[in-house]
Amino acid sequence: MLEHIELFFKSIFIDNMVFAVFLGMCSYLAVSKKVATAVGLGAAVIFVLAVTVPLNWLLDQYLLRDGALVWLGPEYTDYNLSFLSFILFIATIATMVQLVEIVVEKFSPSLYNSLGIFLPLIAVNCAILGGSLFMQSRDIQTLGLAFNYGVSSGIGWFLAILAIAAIREKIRYSNVPAPLRGLGITFIITGLMGIGFQSFGGMLTGGDEAAPVKEEQQVVNDKVSKIEKKELEKKDIEEKEISYNDTINN
Amino acid sequence: MSDKRLTFKKRLHILKHHYRGKKMAPAFNALHTFLFAPDETTHSGSHVRAADDLKRTMNTVIMALVPVLIFSMFNAGYQHYSAINGFPQDFSLMNDFLTWDNFWIGIIKVLPLLVVSYGVGLLVEFIFAVIKGHEVEEGYLVTGMLVPLIVPIDTPLWMLAVAVVFGVVIGKEVFGGTGMNILNPALTIRAFLFFAYPTWMSGDKVWVYQAVERAGGPDAISGETILGYLAQNKAAEMSYSVSDMFFGFIPGSVGETSTFLILLGGLFLIFSKIASWRIMLSAVIGSLVMGLVFNGVVDAGWIGETSKFYGLMSFEFWKHLIVGGLAFGIVYMATDPVTGAQTNRGKWFYGFFIGFLSVMIRVFNPAYPEGVFLAILLMNVFAPTIDHYVVRGNVKRRMKRLKNATILPKDSEGKANELHAETV
Repeated sequence: MLEHIELFFKSIFIDNMVFAVFLGMCSYLAVSKKVATAVGLGAAVIFVLAVTVPLNWLLDQYLLRDGALVWLGPEYTDYNLSFLSFILFIATIATMVQLVEIVVEKFSPSLYNSLGIFLPLIAVNCAILGGSLFMQSRDIQTLGLAFNYGVSSGIGWFLAILAIAAIREKIRYSNVPAPLRGLGITFIITGLMGIGFQSFGGMLTGGDEAAPVKEEQQVVNDKVSKIEKKELEKKDIEEKEISYNDTINN
Repeated sequence: MSDKRLTFKKRLHILKHHYRGKKMAPAFNALHTFLFAPDETTHSGSHVRAADDLKRTMNTVIMALVPVLIFSMFNAGYQHYSAINGFPQDFSLMNDFLTWDNFWIGIIKVLPLLVVSYGVGLLVEFIFAVIKGHEVEEGYLVTGMLVPLIVPIDTPLWMLAVAVVFGVVIGKEVFGGTGMNILNPALTIRAFLFFAYPTWMSGDKVWVYQAVERAGGPDAISGETILGYLAQNKAAEMSYSVSDMFFGFIPGSVGETSTFLILLGGLFLIFSKIASWRIMLSAVIGSLVMGLVFNGVVDAGWIGETSKFYGLMSFEFWKHLIVGGLAFGIVYMATDPVTGAQTNRGKWFYGFFIGFLSVMIRVFNPAYPEGVFLAILLMNVFAPTIDHYVVRGNVKRRMKRLKNATILPKDSEGKANELHAETV
């Protein structure tokens, strides 16, 4: 139970799809002009994520990962089909999006019209594929957790697009400098919202214990790379000098 | 004396007329308005004559901030000398705190912060006003006062200048200036400093004057904030009493320490109706609720003393209000009328979550023992959403009321019957 709560909270706020990993930006920027539309798209994203992540978890568990095919018989132990992940995940997602599209068109034509091209585009929304791939790489253990992960990362994306849509409605009549109007100011708002969401960065994982080690390592790495760079530059200069001398001599 | 001022005013007036319609006009107009009450009246359109214009509002907030500023100047010196000589045994306000030596440290450390904040910020405002060709807005007056009060005392001046430029340009001017910004500019400046120069914004060396320069030497001094002690589970090493925390004789950002003076400033703002009491009250409630929850977790024995959250979780819930920047944030930052929620019902939600999240970030996020500014920024982000739903809710309720209302025809005497409206 505790791990469910932790995963839920973490994927909404700490690993927020928009502000932490910057996924799903295209529809986030394009469909956030009005709150009502944004809510529709956000709900669609939650639904699609909630369905595709568990489905893909099953695919991953029983088809794709190393030794997943063992249920067919002992001779299949060595098979590793994970190179098929992308194509199978995308196939699942595309099917699900088609389903959502049919349902929305049937039950809410006005939402269907206002979402326009972006509803079918959910199929290629990186947040959706990202959800499945994160599920795979973060090694989520059970089907329940996978479902939880899908729903909560969808809610995170939903909150992000809801907030920016409300802000964009609020600043509609602001005197924004002409070159920044539209997408420019939206990018700036997204950045500022990212600062707000920073409040959760490093939460639960314990920032102050992990961070300094990382920093030291980074500093060391930087130093090493700097030294390497300098050496490379020196080599370059020497080679140039040699070739220069050669040309002069010739 | 008065003659001289008059001539200066007159000269400014002539200068203003000279530049009317030219590019530099806003700059001279602003100077004139800033120094003197303009005696010109508008000639077009209809206007409501009211005393509480933007300038008056800003000045009221500044008046509420002046005691905090003066206290912070004394506290700067007090913390410095106490870190060197140890805290005085029997503390007396006149001999140990309100001394010229203490004030001198404040003058050489706090005043430059204030000057740089105002100088750079107003310069940016002037430049933008001249480019855009509109009047200089008074919006920076409060921000410029808040900024030096929420940074650590040893913040280098160039750093502050860079942050102020970022905060004013990206946080405010790109949205169209005062009244249009979505995040509080002062907090944007603080957040920029925090994430761009983290080593200067946290730790046990930045809160006391000269602690950074002396680090590593034989005369090294340090002053950890109370939240810093608690985050490291070192509550036992702390020597501050509750009255120290309340009156503010503790290390911390320049102006955030004295809860007492902030409380007075807050009451002043409530009585002058500048700040919203709803936000302040609900934020206090929010932080108390979260503090109680954490205390409950400790009392129930769910976490042990070795847990890294123990220090802050076991901290009595009401003490959260008197340490760190929570009080300062609630009174001066959360109540910003531009970036906060604007509907009355929305203000309750907005304030509650600010208090709630502040304490939560304090406890759960050891990297940011001071989470108040981030909590307020986060709620600034969500304030338009809250307002949107409050307004939608109101619309829905009234539509329902309209639907249920039955308007009866006039009776024979020509008197209208009462409206039978269901109050929802």
